[in-house]
Amino acid sequence: MLEFISNLIAAILTLFIFSFLYKDNPFYRFAEHLLVGVSMGYAIPLVYINAFIPFVYRPIFLEGNLWLIIPSCIGILYIFRFTRNLSWLSRYPIAFGMGIVGMGVPMSMHSSVLVQMRNAMRPIDSINSFLIFIGTVSILLYFYFSKPHKGLYGKFTNVGIWFMMVGFGASFGYTVMARISLLIGRIQFLLGDFLGLIK
Amino acid sequence: MNIFQRMQNIDRRWIYLVVALCIIIPLLIPFNSKTYVTDPSSNLYQKIDSFAGKEDKAVLLSFSHDASTMAELFPMEVSILRHCFERNIKVFTICFSPPSAPLMAYALNVAKEDYPNSQSGVDYCNFGYKPYGLFLPIVLGMGDDVAEAVQTDADGRKIKNLEIMNGIRNYDDLNLIVDFAASAAVFSWITYARVRFGANVAAGVTAVMAADNYPYLQSGQLVGMLSGLKGAAEYEKLVDVFAAYEDADNPNGRKYSPEVIKDTWVPIMSKKISYDSSQGNIDTDVPLPYKFKMARIGMNAQSIAHIMIIVFIILGNIGYFTTRKKPDETI
Repeated sequence: MLEFISNLIAAILTLFIFSFLYKDNPFYRFAEHLLVGVSMGYAIPLVYINAFIPFVYRPIFLEGNLWLIIPSCIGILYIFRFTRNLSWLSRYPIAFGMGIVGMGVPMSMHSSVLVQMRNAMRPIDSINSFLIFIGTVSILLYFYFSKPHKGLYGKFTNVGIWFMMVGFGASFGYTVMARISLLIGRIQFLLGDFLGLIK
Repeated sequence: MNIFQRMQNIDRRWIYLVVALCIIIPLLIPFNSKTYVTDPSSNLYQKIDSFAGKEDKAVLLSFSHDASTMAELFPMEVSILRHCFERNIKVFTICFSPPSAPLMAYALNVAKEDYPNSQSGVDYCNFGYKPYGLFLPIVLGMGDDVAEAVQTDADGRKIKNLEIMNGIRNYDDLNLIVDFAASAAVFSWITYARVRFGANVAAGVTAVMAADNYPYLQSGQLVGMLSGLKGAAEYEKLVDVFAAYEDADNPNGRKYSPEVIKDTWVPIMSKKISYDSSQGNIDTDVPLPYKFKMARIGMNAQSIAHIMIIVFIILGNIGYFTTRKKPDETI
């Protein structure tokens, strides 16, 4: 019975969202606002139980690790983001966050640049590696703007445009597939879980 | 106004209706369609399967998505968990965003329904939700000591006291991370777990994110990748054909073989399955639960919808080029 009620609520809210396909209406906006509210309502106690209690309350108040008051106070400065006069205080915890991001730069360089370059420099022993070579060089030259794209050089950079178009087409095809998949998922829920028509 | 001019002005809601029908009808009237398995999916399957029955090897599944992308990612999560339960592979789950926590628990519950002997803390362990602020300390800390970095599981038990941790210390043992993501979360695992510790990383991503991850796949930084509903359908088939396969000679599944997967036809709508080696077919006596074939059924609808979209694109272009040549009659 409980499952039926939860499925009924989910089905009604799904139809509320789908009603936007006809035109904007209060049912759609109700479901949209409910989603935002429920997400926040769910997240706040979860973060409170899994972050605040074990990493702030318990160590400071129960275990006496008073030094944790310092990072806690720095974290609290985030709240000043909402005040016009004191919002500059929120930049201090952001600065700590940026420092941590900096730690990942060398590793990002390795995975996104160095390893990719190493694989682009392999011997051309197949059609695939030849296409990768031509594509990489022509696209890199296309984005080299210190030389006019004219003559033979311009024609070669045009090849780079074609490679990019193929890439954009592949991305768009995947995007269409993803959006259709989401619709399939909802219809599978409505027809299968809710109405029991799919076995 | 000719038919092509009318098509240029067609109300988009008619298109929505046709798309809806193209999806609803194949779901209501299912049919068997072939699922071709691609290399990224079979590589991931083989990597996970290589851990079968090993005390000192485990898979970590990271859930980095919310309910909006569940349609694509949930079937692959269930399939990989089923694979682990079928082949006695230790599996851990973790998430760093609040909306992922219930989805992670749901996927575990759905998959383990059919494996009552699989026990939490022995065969699998849900690390639960960890605040995103702890992402780096946990990911980097697991390179030294998993139990020290994660501390407690979703039920509040000390990780180090759990039986599943026997033989599992760091990324040398927790040797494969599969990140289910609708974002660039996979990149974080590559950056910190793979580059720093050499851990194997694989991705289960939405189709939108697949194109972004191909460079990492091509350069070998991802051991495998499941792309959207298609990837999930491929993995479902792999589990059916190998891990969940049973006969007199292979009571606990059989080893991966490219020839078998190429030649084997799995009729998902059939209510009977038994292996016929002379025919290379699989028929089953036990109806396959819907949860283990939902991606393949979804791909039926996906195929019809894609054909319909291609037809619309062709018609739209014919209409565009036909009307473009004619002068505007309204001037």
